[in-house]
Amino acid sequence: MGLKRNVSLMTALGYKGQGPFLTYILHRIGGSALFIFFTMYILVLAGVDSVNVIFSNPIFQIVMLVFGLFHAINGLRITILDLSPKLIEHYRTAINIEWVVYALICGFAIFVVLRNALGG
Amino acid sequence: MATRTLPLSKRGFTFETFMWAFTRFTVIAMYGLILAGILGALSLSTQTGANFGDILYWAFFPNLAENPLGQIWMTILAKLMVIAFVLSACGHGVHGVLEILDDYFTSPLARRWSRNFIITYAVVASLIAMYMIWTK
Repeated sequence: MGLKRNVSLMTALGYKGQGPFLTYILHRIGGSALFIFFTMYILVLAGVDSVNVIFSNPIFQIVMLVFGLFHAINGLRITILDLSPKLIEHYRTAINIEWVVYALICGFAIFVVLRNALGG
Repeated sequence: MATRTLPLSKRGFTFETFMWAFTRFTVIAMYGLILAGILGALSLSTQTGANFGDILYWAFFPNLAENPLGQIWMTILAKLMVIAFVLSACGHGVHGVLEILDDYFTSPLARRWSRNFIITYAVVASLIAMYMIWTK
């Protein structure tokens, strides 16, 4: 069944869904980034060596870490809330905890990538 | 806010329900495999003296690195775990991409072709990954 939606891009971007909507959008962006990463990984396995140059680029690594880690941590929150419906009442608290965990893990991961890139 | 739960028997076992459950189970499998993979690689690292990072790099890129483990059972175990992880990731990711495509492709024909394309992609990518990881 086809959908008919009359929502323009600007209206969608201005939607005040706050934290939950932001996590929803970032989860999708992260999933798309990981799908690209997975495709590149398959290409490397298939013997396309030029893709390996992109893999070793620190900017690419940081972009993948920023979006990929968010997808993984947000997915864990969604799974926990799905499996424990009683916790759904506290979903905003769960999102706040998720941001703290994400900031710590992502910050450390970016630090390690930058340190390796700068030869530290 | 009141919680709402609906038993599986009342949801109807449609393609969407099946894929929702499939997506949840594959992601739980991925979390489990990540944990088991890290612990396994650490354990193998202490037993063989191989570098932890080298083990993971070889496990995921066997065509680019030398096998640092040596013993056959370790090699087979590592390959099986990586194949299980890649298949879980592929199944999980393919359904996620399909959901995104369904949101933007609104005609039934476009949805059918996007579904055909993504399922073909999943099969081909899985076969390439399994063959390369197992044989190299």
